[in-house]
Amino acid sequence: MTTVVLAAAELLFLAILAPAVVGYVRWLKARLQSRRGADLFQPYREFRKTFAKGMVIADTASWLFHLAPYVVVASTVAAAVLVPVFSASQAGDQFGDLFALMALLILGTMFLALGGLDPGTAFGGMGSSREMTVAALTEPTLAIAVLALALTAGSSSLGVITGTLLTTPANAIGPGHALAFAAFLIAMLAETGRLPVDNPATHLELTMIHEAMILEYSGPYLALLEWAAALKLTLLLTLAANLFVPWGMATSVGAAALAFGLVVVVAKIAVLATLLALLETRVAKLRLFRVPELLAVSFTLALLAATSSFFTR
Amino acid sequence: MDATFSLLTMTGASAMLLLALAVLWRHHVPAYITAFRMQSVALAFVGAVVAWFGDVSELFLVAALILALKGWIVPRILARMEARRPGDRGLHPLVNTEMSLLLSGGLAVAAYEISRPVAEVISLPTRGGLPLALALILVSLFIVVSRRQVIAQIVGFLMLENGIALLALLGAYGVPLVVELGVFLDVLLGVLVMQALVPGMGEPSAG
Repeated sequence: MTTVVLAAAELLFLAILAPAVVGYVRWLKARLQSRRGADLFQPYREFRKTFAKGMVIADTASWLFHLAPYVVVASTVAAAVLVPVFSASQAGDQFGDLFALMALLILGTMFLALGGLDPGTAFGGMGSSREMTVAALTEPTLAIAVLALALTAGSSSLGVITGTLLTTPANAIGPGHALAFAAFLIAMLAETGRLPVDNPATHLELTMIHEAMILEYSGPYLALLEWAAALKLTLLLTLAANLFVPWGMATSVGAAALAFGLVVVVAKIAVLATLLALLETRVAKLRLFRVPELLAVSFTLALLAATSSFFTR
Repeated sequence: MDATFSLLTMTGASAMLLLALAVLWRHHVPAYITAFRMQSVALAFVGAVVAWFGDVSELFLVAALILALKGWIVPRILARMEARRPGDRGLHPLVNTEMSLLLSGGLAVAAYEISRPVAEVISLPTRGGLPLALALILVSLFIVVSRRQVIAQIVGFLMLENGIALLALLGAYGVPLVVELGVFLDVLLGVLVMQALVPGMGEPSAG
């Protein structure tokens, strides 16, 4: 019972925090570019506004177009349940492991691409085709990077991976861990549509990927998709923080430990989001044809990490 | 003690392999030279670590020489060669970047598999880095055969030399000082000869 309540609390926490993470990255980027920037709560206001609006739907859209936002949200929420957030005694473990997480993420990506293709517009189709190109390269990288940790821990369950790392911190030192972290971060940038792979700030660019797919959506559907994207970013940031640097997570179910875990996880997400904003300010978007090169780099890093974990087990 | 030793050598060796991989992803010769310089610094670091923990004091001298020769003099000569190189700045490798990286990943896996029997019989604390040194040798060889520009091939060749030096450091705590000095002289002589010859060479792809 406690574990289910804990899982629900973690999910609720991620769901509520997600727009603030996006708002924080936007605000920091604005500050770095010498603009004043909207505050952290701007995404919440935008969601409220978009939810209240009516929808304009293309005549050519079929049922798939209506289904896609729900599947995207549902799969992202289900994936968020599996991620350990502030407690290492992971409640979501009974629902699925690393492979279930990857499958849920790719399910959401696939339906997003289908939703982009469905109305038959040129932009949507272009975005979907690019998204599938990128996703085909990033998903295996994410899975192999986490697999490198799973090999060391001896289990594919995310809770056990973080738990093992907490009890035997020596696992974290060594090339496998650092390489897997680097590979995971690069793949995460591509997966969540950030620079240098995709530009999250605009939908008026010819090389956009994520924004092109959701161009035909409006009103509540758009709000759902935007929120799912924010949740995906937050859950991947949390995953990166907790799988690779699990220290500070609650190992028991006490109020004090949980409160401490909560503060630590917010701090970790804030650090990663700050790094993300700094990176996005520093780098320019890659040419689309150089994106596979970057992803090949991250795949090779993940492969090396998994190889070294496998042979030095 | 042994754990720290093993960890430091592993970190140095991984950094060296990563810098060899960085070459495959970069598109310009100055980046190649920087990667080689940093790789040599990492090699000097590994040398100093082996000298300290393995109690081989003459390796300190070797590490200092590596730092001076491969970390400073050779990169300078290379940079001067690059500055004088006329024409097209871009490198157009024979194998494209994605394929190069995937092949190198495969080579690294092969290196791990090949060196497994060796790593099982050796009981040195440095054995964890042996597969990385072998992978570095294989990847450098791949850089040599897959680049068109002479200067990029020289960098690949020097990285190959770094890989062999790393293997000697990790597997046998270095070779006798006389041999090491001879190798340094050979490297310097080789680079100087190449510096004299390269301006007269056309690009092999031009014909």
